[in-house]
Amino acid sequence: MTTSTDTPMVELKGVKKHFGDLEVLKGIDLRVDRGRIISIIGPSGSGKSTLLRSINHLEVIDGGNILLDGMPVNRPDLKGLAFERHINHIRQNMGMVFQHFNLFPHMSTLDNVTLAPRRLKGMQSTDARELGMELLERVGLADKAKAYPSSLSGGQKQRVAIARALAMQPKVMLFDEATSALDPELVEEVNRVMKGLAEEHMTMLIVTHEMAFARDVSDWTMFMDEGVVVEANTPDRLFSDPDHERTCHFLRKHLGSQG
Amino acid sequence: MEFDFSPVIEYFPTLVQGVGVTLLIGLAVAVMSIVGGQIVAVISLYTRRVVSWPLRFFIWLFMTTPLLLQLYFLYFGLGELILIPAIVVGILGLGFHYMAYNADIFVATIRSVSDGQYEASRSLGFGHIRTLIYIILPQAFYRALPQLSNNMIIMVKDISVLSAIGIGELVYVSQYAISVTFRPFEFYITIAVIYYLINLMMEAGQSWIERRAAYRR
Amino acid sequence: MDFNLMIDITPLLIKAAWVTVDISARALFLGLFIAAALVALRTSRLAPPRWLARAYISVIRGTPYFVQLLLVFYGGPAIGLRLDPFTCGVMVGAFNIGAYISEAMRGAIESVDSGQSEASRSLGFGRLATLQHIILPQAAGLMIRSIGVLAIILVKNSSLVSIISVVELTYQAQRLIGSTYKPLEVFMLSALMYIVIIYAVMGMIEFLYRRATRYTYR
Repeated sequence: MTTSTDTPMVELKGVKKHFGDLEVLKGIDLRVDRGRIISIIGPSGSGKSTLLRSINHLEVIDGGNILLDGMPVNRPDLKGLAFERHINHIRQNMGMVFQHFNLFPHMSTLDNVTLAPRRLKGMQSTDARELGMELLERVGLADKAKAYPSSLSGGQKQRVAIARALAMQPKVMLFDEATSALDPELVEEVNRVMKGLAEEHMTMLIVTHEMAFARDVSDWTMFMDEGVVVEANTPDRLFSDPDHERTCHFLRKHLGSQG
Repeated sequence: MEFDFSPVIEYFPTLVQGVGVTLLIGLAVAVMSIVGGQIVAVISLYTRRVVSWPLRFFIWLFMTTPLLLQLYFLYFGLGELILIPAIVVGILGLGFHYMAYNADIFVATIRSVSDGQYEASRSLGFGHIRTLIYIILPQAFYRALPQLSNNMIIMVKDISVLSAIGIGELVYVSQYAISVTFRPFEFYITIAVIYYLINLMMEAGQSWIERRAAYRR
Repeated sequence: MDFNLMIDITPLLIKAAWVTVDISARALFLGLFIAAALVALRTSRLAPPRWLARAYISVIRGTPYFVQLLLVFYGGPAIGLRLDPFTCGVMVGAFNIGAYISEAMRGAIESVDSGQSEASRSLGFGRLATLQHIILPQAAGLMIRSIGVLAIILVKNSSLVSIISVVELTYQAQRLIGSTYKPLEVFMLSALMYIVIIYAVMGMIEFLYRRATRYTYR
């Protein structure tokens, strides 16, 4: 799977999705080059989470194309087991972080992190352990390797979840409101880990409602509303001088309430 | 193998009669076990141990032993003491059995309601008994409805067991017909179909009740 | 209370209680396989197997176990199915409880938060691997408890095979009531044996439950 460096890491072309009569995504285009960090903001129900979940094929899109490093995510030509194999392979190249962490409660944090490399890459348990400890170290939780998720705080859980997603050495990381379920005082520790990834030039798509963080960490920001990208720009530009009235309105409300 | 359903048709009036008896027993047992279950639950929750413990013991005893064993005991035990018709023994047996199960449900729902509502009601100036009657029990009843109706659906199927002590419900009257016609397969299939239809109707009734009760919870 | 009588009949009742245990254990063992097969059919990609499983479960749950037993034992020969009473009790018990267990299994699997399966799938695990490594270990606790409730019902239901003259606990109790005219004594003793059996089942269930949910105590 070697591709030239100018192939976009993630590319969306006219992506459409509806739930019943409700159109959630009305033809989204997006190009994410490798090493770029894109933040997606917008009111709830704007379709931003659905967009991210579609890239991971947790939502099946109704139209358009999604490409990961040049490979199509959706393959209507593949059926049954063939598609299953295809999508598992695609997903192994993406790391997804969920709002509610979704750690596996019946496994220690270390096992949470090493499960995928052991079972999917057939990594030896000593190697997997080494990798797992390295990743836990990176998110500052090496001392919690033997702990079970139920004994961790929300912030710690989310850091483990990030380590788990990193264990497959993904080409891109998808963050779906990673800090929305956290108590305010726990947000910072997760943000720090994400910033660390940004400094290592990980390609990232971040759906968030934290404007300050989006502005700080990303190099491109998309504002979505009612299933369309209203505008996209560098964060400095978008936050200080938005082109659209809807963006202004949204930012006023959110920057205002955050003080 | 050849099937001949003509005896079933011939004995159809008998089967209808059996269904009638089955449904009457079901109704009697439902009333007895729901009313009785609520009374038993209240007594076992709100009286002194001298009263409540023996009651809880009987709930437990009825729940941990098979219905048929209880029926035999009542049939032969009561039958020895007083002369009562088998159908009364059957209704009492099934009634006690499901009274125990229903009481168990009521105990749980009364507890869950009284957690918050009891203090609220007392703070309004209601006494203990009034709180129970006007505030706790009605809510507990609606909360219990889904499980109660489940129990009643199971209970109706258990009426078939009463044939073992010679009560003329559906299975028993069919067994007589079978002994004359030698067509067990045809008759038992018919009984199964009849029970399945009764069950479907009860399930429809259950979801209707639950929809209505949802407003009251 | 006639204690001498109670001592006299105890060996007979213990022997009969063993038959109750035997028939219930065999039916449960078989029933677990039937249930697993039904769950597999119900989650099939094809519609006909799903309909078949749903229809089977609906019919089994919608008709009395007692009628199923009588139908197979007395009606079975008409379609060439001749079973001795004990085997008939085991088979009908297994096919009956299997339908209920399959619903319990499905319920337990569905009780696991959908985020768990999403997280597993997003790592690149397939459906089966997700079921095996993520869903089943978490569903196991609830599954064990619901199957335990059904196992107790199975033990109590086994009393009905006395009607097709399997000499199990209720059959023996009824016979002894008839021959001794001491219903209370016989009832007390046989009830005690059912209680012992049921509490043994509950103990085993609790043990398995704790093993399956050990991770929640760590």
